[in-house]
Amino acid sequence: MKLHINKTSVWMYTICAMLILTTVSCDSFVEVDSPKNSLVTKTVFEDAATVEAAMANIFVKMRQQGLVSGNFSISASLGIYADELDYFGNSPDILKLYSHNVLASDGQVSLWWNHAFNLIYAANDIIEGVAASQTLSEEDKNRFTGQALFIRTYLNSLLLTLFGEVPYIITTDYVANNRAFRTPEAEVYEKLIGDLNEAANLLENSNQGNENILPNLQVVHALLARIYLYSGDWAMAETMASNLIGDYALEDIDKVFLKGSRETIWQLMLGDNPVNTYDALQLIITGIPTQGMALTDDLLAAFEAGDMRYVHWIANITSGDGQTTLYYAHKYKATHNTTNQSEEYPILFRLAEQYLIRAEARVQLGDISGAQADINAIRNRAGLSNTAANDKASILDTILDERRLELFTEQGHRWFDLKRMGKADAVLSPIKAGWRSTDIILPIPESELELNPNLKPQNDGY
Amino acid sequence: MKNNYTTKGRSLLFCMVFSCLLPLFTNAIQQLQIHGVITDTSGNPLAGVHVMVETTNKGVVSNFDGSYSIKASTGDTLVFSALGFVRQTVTIKNGTAVNVQLEEDITQLDTVTLNAGYYTVKDKERTGSIAKIAAKTIEQQPVNNPMAAMQGHLTGVNIVQTTGVPGGGYQIDIRGKNFINGGTDPLFIVDGVPYGGQSLESTLVSSGINRGNVSPLNAIDPLDIARIEVLKDADATAIYGSRGANGVVLITTKKGRAGKTKVSASLSTTLGQVPRFMELMNTEQYLEVAREGVVNDGFGPFLDNPAFDFIWPSLKTWDQNRYTDWQKELIGGTAYRNKVQVSISGGTAQTQFLVSGNYQKETTVFPGDGNYQRVSGRSHLTHHSKDERFSISLSTNYSIEDNKLPRQDFTVLAYRLQPNAPALYDDNGDLNWEDSTWDNPLASLQQKYRAQSNTLIAQMNLSYRLANNLELRSNFGYTNNQMESYRVFPSMARRPNLNLDASSSSFDINRSSRDSWIIEPQLNWNQQYGQLTINVLLGSTFQKQREQNLVQTARGFSSNSLLLNLSAANTIEVFRDNNSDYNYQAVFGRINLNLRDKYILNLTGRRDGSSRFGPGKQFGNFGAVGLAWLFSEEGLFQNSTFLSFGKLRGSYGITGSDNIGDYRFLSTYSITGFDYNGISALEPTGVFNPNFGWESNKKLEVALELGFFNDAIRLNTAWYQNRSSNQLIGMPLAGTTGFNSLVANFDATVENTGLEIDFRTTNIQSKHFNWSSTFNLTVPKNRLVRFPDLENSAFANRYRIGEALTSIPLYQALGVDPDNGLYQFEDYNNDGNISALDDKQWFEDLAPEFYGGLGNTLSYKNLSLDFFFQFKKQKAFNYLNSGAMVGFRQNAPIQLLDRWQNPGDGNPIQRASGLARYPGVSEAEGFQRESNAAVSDASFIRLRNVSLTYKVPQSLSKGFDMSLYLQGQNLFVITDYEGPDPEQASFEILPPLRQVTLGLQLNF
Repeated sequence: MKLHINKTSVWMYTICAMLILTTVSCDSFVEVDSPKNSLVTKTVFEDAATVEAAMANIFVKMRQQGLVSGNFSISASLGIYADELDYFGNSPDILKLYSHNVLASDGQVSLWWNHAFNLIYAANDIIEGVAASQTLSEEDKNRFTGQALFIRTYLNSLLLTLFGEVPYIITTDYVANNRAFRTPEAEVYEKLIGDLNEAANLLENSNQGNENILPNLQVVHALLARIYLYSGDWAMAETMASNLIGDYALEDIDKVFLKGSRETIWQLMLGDNPVNTYDALQLIITGIPTQGMALTDDLLAAFEAGDMRYVHWIANITSGDGQTTLYYAHKYKATHNTTNQSEEYPILFRLAEQYLIRAEARVQLGDISGAQADINAIRNRAGLSNTAANDKASILDTILDERRLELFTEQGHRWFDLKRMGKADAVLSPIKAGWRSTDIILPIPESELELNPNLKPQNDGY
Repeated sequence: MKNNYTTKGRSLLFCMVFSCLLPLFTNAIQQLQIHGVITDTSGNPLAGVHVMVETTNKGVVSNFDGSYSIKASTGDTLVFSALGFVRQTVTIKNGTAVNVQLEEDITQLDTVTLNAGYYTVKDKERTGSIAKIAAKTIEQQPVNNPMAAMQGHLTGVNIVQTTGVPGGGYQIDIRGKNFINGGTDPLFIVDGVPYGGQSLESTLVSSGINRGNVSPLNAIDPLDIARIEVLKDADATAIYGSRGANGVVLITTKKGRAGKTKVSASLSTTLGQVPRFMELMNTEQYLEVAREGVVNDGFGPFLDNPAFDFIWPSLKTWDQNRYTDWQKELIGGTAYRNKVQVSISGGTAQTQFLVSGNYQKETTVFPGDGNYQRVSGRSHLTHHSKDERFSISLSTNYSIEDNKLPRQDFTVLAYRLQPNAPALYDDNGDLNWEDSTWDNPLASLQQKYRAQSNTLIAQMNLSYRLANNLELRSNFGYTNNQMESYRVFPSMARRPNLNLDASSSSFDINRSSRDSWIIEPQLNWNQQYGQLTINVLLGSTFQKQREQNLVQTARGFSSNSLLLNLSAANTIEVFRDNNSDYNYQAVFGRINLNLRDKYILNLTGRRDGSSRFGPGKQFGNFGAVGLAWLFSEEGLFQNSTFLSFGKLRGSYGITGSDNIGDYRFLSTYSITGFDYNGISALEPTGVFNPNFGWESNKKLEVALELGFFNDAIRLNTAWYQNRSSNQLIGMPLAGTTGFNSLVANFDATVENTGLEIDFRTTNIQSKHFNWSSTFNLTVPKNRLVRFPDLENSAFANRYRIGEALTSIPLYQALGVDPDNGLYQFEDYNNDGNISALDDKQWFEDLAPEFYGGLGNTLSYKNLSLDFFFQFKKQKAFNYLNSGAMVGFRQNAPIQLLDRWQNPGDGNPIQRASGLARYPGVSEAEGFQRESNAAVSDASFIRLRNVSLTYKVPQSLSKGFDMSLYLQGQNLFVITDYEGPDPEQASFEILPPLRQVTLGLQLNF
């Protein structure tokens, strides 16, 4: 009996010791390796290849889901919001854009907002990560920082025109960003121009030979020209546009939207996705009835006879019973990429816009003939004769018209032009029952005001 | 050592993490050796019967062949007691053989033992809150998932079925929502092995049919379950530490019994149907409001222009007199479920086994041949060494599920398709597209969804009794859950005028798996000192879990017949390729002190480490104290004929939660699967916070358990208060941060209080007729107690101090403006503008106010009848939430017909609008959907279950033990709620079905 008890206690001591050991040595047990699909942030910025991959993420998202390309891009949506497109589908959010009944709670509004700020974060993270990196070369650092600065300003410029004053975010610090205040418009322009000039310095020597698929110095200049124009700095707008007009050439009318176009300043390369450009997918009507969007009668009527843009960039389709004919934008022609070798990439900046920017800048600066020459360059390419406009007011009207005809369903240009030229009320109130002059900017997403009261008050009218 | 021990001897130092110093005494006295066999009234040997010498309180447990052997002196009284049997006493006169036959007793709950996870406890002596549902209750319900069987039967447990589609999911909360942003999923443990209850399905693949929610518990056939215990309070859950905050659900499967080899088979057929249809507009009504909507929007003149016919086919080109009841057509079918189960069990005193196999096939109420099949096999083996020191048990459960469904739940179409929409098939029997004027709903039959799951749960338990009162055991578990699901979207399922070919077809596939192993060595020691019994448990847990997901989208095929082959695709996008590891380690313990079977103190504790937290934050301590006082054992009540049982118990303790997902403390970039210019893109995963730690949940409970008239009436009342703080929140971030949430601890406190009442009565107990009833009621209350700086936080508009977390802010509806026919709302801040920020000030709580069930069991000779009513008082979103206006594009509930038409009208529904072009019309409609008008009473009483069983007399069944049964589930609902189902208040998802089962059970 005694012996057995001893045996038992030996057992117990052994087990106690084992249990105690396991508890002492368990710290490492609850540490795990990082998952196979991710890299710790710090290591991303140790190698140029992984920074390139972080940059690629921005372009992929711009192509597929952002403001400028993808299912909800402003090309179609703002065409509907302005007077370019009639909508026949039943997506509630697009119907609300069409009828000017946009609500602060609409998903579409949040999508634009969130996608833009997600990419602004990505750009800021690259700027900060690259700056802190010990291993990247100076040349790589400049290129990455320049591109990231450009992305940040480009998205901010779009947000400014869509939503009015919004926070200009320049850090990844979520504590600060979560409580950000709106940045006044004048300050935004200051920052946009400052950042772009810095980007221009950094990208000076990084103009690589490519299919114009990465932002380089010229792209920065193109955006600068647009921003100078929007902010009324005519002289700088003219200078910037002139830089580019020297570097690129207007393409034949039927090749403008091909990926090899000589007038493309920046386009987004397509990936393996079988969708070709989202512009083609959304704008081309393949049959009637349709859930799609057709060019408005107003826009169709605005083309002069013989305008080759009407011939090459617009197509139509008639219903089986012959009752209905709809016209649609046909700048991009292929909806699906069946060959894996697309002929068209979505174009974000092209030279024609720069001609029209310079024309407008010139007329504002009093250079009537210079403005006429730029307008004529665009008109002549479309097979039209020189413009008859010869004074400031009529030339400005002509420029608005030419922009409408040249840039229709591209990147929301029509809407932005109506807005900045103060014509939205006059043009839209007769044709849109729901139009209110406060529709000139979209509402700040409702959830954003809830999450960050510093953004209050809501934009007027919402 | 074969002798009994008394409390004399030596003590030894017993040092553990919980620093307990406990003595161990042994000694022996010479007595008579009594032995015998214990059987039930049918002569089956009974194992596990406690045999005790009354005077000394010393006892043994009967073996698996019913035999026992105990030392006692002449004149001693032996007490025989076992779970569910009437206690019997025998006084020893002469001789040493005492054979006993025990009678079954359904009312004697004193002897019922409960599984508390790491230990078992007598119901009588428990200090914690443990609710139990037994096999009998589970078996009489024709359900697919263990959670379905629990609905309504347990206090404090709120379960809602999320869809009537087979193989879908459930939502469960135990004692309310504890965490502001966290899930309510409890910890599921199957036969001692933690079982991930979260769905492995990808929303990309199955959002349309089951919302990406496939319950892994579907793998467990309810018929295989012996019992389910739900641990609720701190005393019961603190031993699960960080994972006990939302409660613990313990599922125990059936095991073999010693005795002759028994074969049992059960066969059943179930018919299921949608129990309630909505009343929708007919063709005439629909066309009237559709036309009115177009005219109201100012497009009246266009109606006469054929060029615009394509916009409103239902008004122009479709047959104006056609009527189809789309509910009947699309969700009006009958779902058949055929099920067969065979099990063989038996064994000797030392070794017992059980092997069972199940097969079932269930079809849907939808058109087409969608069906869910499950094959499962289970085995259980227990072996004891001859000296009873060593034992091993092994169990495995393997199941294969195959769910083939249409990609889209037809329910939403059934409610919304225009009543004059065209025929589904043309004269040739092909899908009718009516000149591409509509999306034929049956096209989604070609858009197949299929989910296949394989699940293995294996468990082994080894134990060795080192001394009579000291046992070392270890539990080993392994689970593996594999899921492969896909959906296809072939081009021919699209309108022909889109002119699509296979190059636009797509195929989405999800391959996911979760496997985990666990090892839990434990040491159990008990000792008696006079009238004090001490029970000590110490243990340790090591667990690793790995989850992998690969979700891909393939597009562009050369032929639709190659759609299921990834290599035939033109492009393959990797949507998600992820693995995540979760390691978990803990030590735990329990000390239970029982003085004179009257005063019981139960201490439990756990120290947890989890890989979900960053360095330095990985460990947390949890613990609880539970007390019970069996006052009916006091002299005052000892001889009371009125009060047969009385216990006051209470507990207080802390549990935690690490239910936040893996790796959230790391700042990472993830692979996206997309590339640009040949470079694979890496995206920042999110903003990160390395400093978050455990959230804690303090639980307090006081309960009174009473039994009257020899326990013919049992009344258990519990009051609880759970306070959750240090909330781990996926804190919503403003979009300007680039992301929408961040994991952080937040110093907010959420309180759940509640009252739970369990009432059981044995109304009549006689030789032929028995009648017993159960009633349970839960009155929960949820409240946000504390939230520092709520006004300036991201939750300013969402929550309010003093309101429930489940309360949602709404606009206050003021009816329709008689002048312009638009909905009006209370402008709380009088700024002339209705906005969510300022005017969503009306709060409605959508959590139940109280819920419970009422059950009756009646038996007369061979016939037994059970019926169970479930009830809930609650509010829910009504039909206005899914659409508050009529127009031309879709059908709507008949109630929406009562609309404003002319100035001065006072109807409750606003003006019709077909194109949302009338200014303000869609805005007002949007507000109305989120207003208090869109919430209505959804209280209900549901006849959840009826079961009628007839046991065929042996004379007829010729030696077989045969029963026939008829069961009904969800037979009817009494409610004022105007929707398909008041519990699953949705207008888009298939409601839970009404099911009737006919079955046969054979034992031989």
